[in-house]
Amino acid sequence: MNLQFSVNTEVFQKVISFLKKKELTGVFIILSVISIVTFVIFYFNGLGLSYNDARSHLDIGRRIVEGLKPGLAQIGSVWLPLPHILMIPTVWNDFMWHSGLSGALISMISFVATALLIYLFLKELGVGVIGRLTGVLVFVANLNILYLQSTAMTELLLLATMTAGAYELLLWFKKDNVLNLVKSAFFVMLSSLVRYDGWFLFIFAVALISIEVFRKKGYKVTEGVIIIFSTLAGLGILLWFVWNQLIFKDALFFMFGPYSAHTQQEQLAIAGNLATKNNLLFSTKVYLYSIAYNCNTFISILGVIGAVVLWFDKKIKTKIKIAATVLLAPLIFNILSLYLGQSVLFIQGLSGNTWFNARYGIVMMPSIAIFIGYLIQKADKLKFVLIGLMLFVTFFSFANSDAVTIDDARVGSSQKNVTEVSGWLKNNALNKPGFILISAASHDAIIFSSGLPMSRFIHEGTGAYWQQATSYPSLWARWIIMRTYDNNDMTYKAVSKTPDLIRYNLVGKYPFADIYELKDEYLGTLITQPILGKQK
Amino acid sequence: MKITQSIILFIFCSFILALSVRGLPGNPNSSDLNKQTWKENGPFELSPERGRFALLYSIVEDHSFQFSNEIGKFASPDVVVSRGKYASMFAPLVSFITIPGYVIGKFFGVSQVGAFAIVSLFAILNLLLLRAIAIRLGANPIASTLGAMIFLFATPAFSYAVNLYQHHISTFLILLSLYILIRFKNFWSLTLVFLLCAASIPLDYPNLIFMFPIGLFAVGRIITFEKIREKVVTTIRLPYFLTLSIMILPILFFLWFNQMSFGNPFQLSGTLPSAGHTFSASINNSQDLASKSRLIEDAAEPKKEKTALGFFQSRRILNGFYIHFISPDRGVIYYTPVILLGMLGAALAYRKRVKLFTLFLAIIGANVLLYSMWGDPWGGWAFGSRYLIPSYAILSIFIALLLTYWRKSIPFLIIFLILFGYSAAVNTLGAITTSAMPPQVEVLNLEKLSGMVQKYTYERNWDFLQNGSSKSFVYQTVAKKYFSATQYYEILAGLIILAGLSLTTFLWFSGRNNK
Repeated sequence: MNLQFSVNTEVFQKVISFLKKKELTGVFIILSVISIVTFVIFYFNGLGLSYNDARSHLDIGRRIVEGLKPGLAQIGSVWLPLPHILMIPTVWNDFMWHSGLSGALISMISFVATALLIYLFLKELGVGVIGRLTGVLVFVANLNILYLQSTAMTELLLLATMTAGAYELLLWFKKDNVLNLVKSAFFVMLSSLVRYDGWFLFIFAVALISIEVFRKKGYKVTEGVIIIFSTLAGLGILLWFVWNQLIFKDALFFMFGPYSAHTQQEQLAIAGNLATKNNLLFSTKVYLYSIAYNCNTFISILGVIGAVVLWFDKKIKTKIKIAATVLLAPLIFNILSLYLGQSVLFIQGLSGNTWFNARYGIVMMPSIAIFIGYLIQKADKLKFVLIGLMLFVTFFSFANSDAVTIDDARVGSSQKNVTEVSGWLKNNALNKPGFILISAASHDAIIFSSGLPMSRFIHEGTGAYWQQATSYPSLWARWIIMRTYDNNDMTYKAVSKTPDLIRYNLVGKYPFADIYELKDEYLGTLITQPILGKQK
Repeated sequence: MKITQSIILFIFCSFILALSVRGLPGNPNSSDLNKQTWKENGPFELSPERGRFALLYSIVEDHSFQFSNEIGKFASPDVVVSRGKYASMFAPLVSFITIPGYVIGKFFGVSQVGAFAIVSLFAILNLLLLRAIAIRLGANPIASTLGAMIFLFATPAFSYAVNLYQHHISTFLILLSLYILIRFKNFWSLTLVFLLCAASIPLDYPNLIFMFPIGLFAVGRIITFEKIREKVVTTIRLPYFLTLSIMILPILFFLWFNQMSFGNPFQLSGTLPSAGHTFSASINNSQDLASKSRLIEDAAEPKKEKTALGFFQSRRILNGFYIHFISPDRGVIYYTPVILLGMLGAALAYRKRVKLFTLFLAIIGANVLLYSMWGDPWGGWAFGSRYLIPSYAILSIFIALLLTYWRKSIPFLIIFLILFGYSAAVNTLGAITTSAMPPQVEVLNLEKLSGMVQKYTYERNWDFLQNGSSKSFVYQTVAKKYFSATQYYEILAGLIILAGLSLTTFLWFSGRNNK
């Protein structure tokens, strides 16, 4: 008494060929839906703007198009410029700015692009459809990735540009078509304008290309190929030096300036909070923990096994193995920068009881996804067990909202709960005339969260307004927001040298900043309109 | 010949377990159970044993699923409050299964030993099942015997074969299901597999996860896909669908138990509020360091709403792996390094395309991952990593395959013997002394609490032994007159290692003769 039915294999073949034709479109549609739904979830639960840095990125973009001194110079030197330049077409809109969508949109597009690139990368490695889809699934079903793609953070853009660069490099290694080399150079150049990880990728790619070409064609050809690649791939880095020279009169301003990571790390080192500096073992440990927490320990281990399988697979040509080495660039870069004291990463339990920049491990996610896709291809009958176990742990990470990036953003040192100050401004300054004097370098999160137009704020990037207001505060600023007695706060540093502070009442004292309001008797002489005209 | 070997193995292992099973003579009543001689100094040193025995005792003696005040105190801190009454926090089936042992034991004046002996019986059944499975998968019978002995005597499974824990019964359900799937393909075999799958839940809730791959595999025997010429033929064996209906029996039992205990058939005990605080005064007045430490830990933990899924967090995997494999207080490399050979055996089994290999791997994977995500990967106060006992069982099958493959290699056999000897010595120590080993993370608090240095590795068991103590029933009632605790340990460990050495020598000879 069996129920039996059969389907002609032709039907399966038709379905498979249809799917093959539409595979990328299908994956694209699914990813886009996931991306949008995830953004909506994080928008409505309010987590999308939890990262202090996310709010600063949005403000930088906004200052380019709106404020007392709008213009490209607002890009500044703290962060590399591409994410902010890409925000320009949308950030002028108040909703796009304050919802964070202006920045998140870039992350969302990057998310879809990275997942598609993982799919394509695996295809080029000869991985079948199950392996490819598993690779994409590993990347997409990561709550940290889904969270970061819903924010105005720069990680996803970095992943997209780096993965695109790596993919085109793989194609060049495989096909020796110069067009792929140029495309790779282009994406590496873009990544070098997102984060400094891209700079290391540039150096790493140059090294890999040199090895491959020198191995096959000798020195002369190597020289030519490296020039072709570096001219475009290194252009972004060169332009960044030029920019710093032109705007800040110091090509190395981004590296050693007062707002640079180097300066911040030096302060941490003096305070004894930079344990990774000059300690390679601890740097490695901290970064591996970060990978384990961001990408999931079990999935990371499978990724390592996948990498080993790939490198020991005799069927894979040496040149492909060399090209695939590029996937390790983020790992080496992050360990090195921790060791050299150029970056800071706190993991709860290893570096005290807090998180800070815990998200850095996420940059290994595409590499891990690719290695796992390859492992699935090679795992034969075990593939379904491995996929099942990955789904098992992923289920629990979603069921318990287990994402280290969200913790970092909500309760770690990467968050800044400025609602008290920004709320005060919203309630008391919105409908009253007058400027607010504030340091954007210290309090961008307050500027963003207040909901006030950028043109209400006098900050370091407003040129003559800043100079005037910090020299004669009571003429220009109805409110001053600053950390009193903290010389790292540029507003306090300048205002404390003037006698004007006695003309203000301290109306609020909060953990991140104090609020001063001009006494009523001085309101008569207060300038409340932008009278300085267009500045150069 | 095979049957003779099995009988010898059965007799030898029963003898060793009989010498090791923990206990005291007598039929304790509820007030006896709360005495130090039965609790921290006796066979009920930790709350998992007490909780399960408390339910057994309540059912048999008080005819109730809810605890009296005395029994609640005995079982604390693992007691929950439901509708103002105390109930067990543990899944109920172990208590039910051990009732016959309790009743028979009571007849002979050793009710507690009778209950514990049921667990030992399951341990022996596991040993026989392991040997049978390994032989079915192509391992040499001597290697299979060795593999089975490794599981029982050279892993923390030994410690949990002589007291009242669920691990051996859970492992029995897994191994019996695997054996049935390897051996049979008929209607009744599938029925039994589904019955075992469902029965595993009221035994220990996480069994649901380990038995899931087995259930899925069994379903694969009902629905099959075949490629015949140009067609893919799907066959659904309709009568076999009836086999699934057997699952209703254990589920009904479980729902009935929940209804009787908590007033709601769908209420899981783990999600109910603990009654630990009610008995905190009596715990604090006792010598029970484990429960005291537990109260401190519970008080320090932020109060959150309990959910079944909330116990498992993927972020804990890293720490979980460390605890299970590397840590000095629970790690496999300290307690049972011989089982690591099972990983080599697994690679061999994969290469040789051993039957059901994917299913074995799925069970190990689910076991290790689930208990790495668990909030307490240490298993509370415990000897070795007790949660991995199902994985030790499957890995010992792979060791049998490895021993078969490399039985002619003297260097390998020497390494194997060294690892086996060490692991057997460590685990025999655990079995006849105590399982009350604190996790390393609790030691500082514990030292403050007790005012003395607290060890958290098997050195603690060694100290226990050196103080002339053993919790073995036979030692305490008979052997104590003739041997010191250390001598007793040396005899037991010596017998096990000697048996391992003899079997390895036979294995080597059998390899040589097959040249």
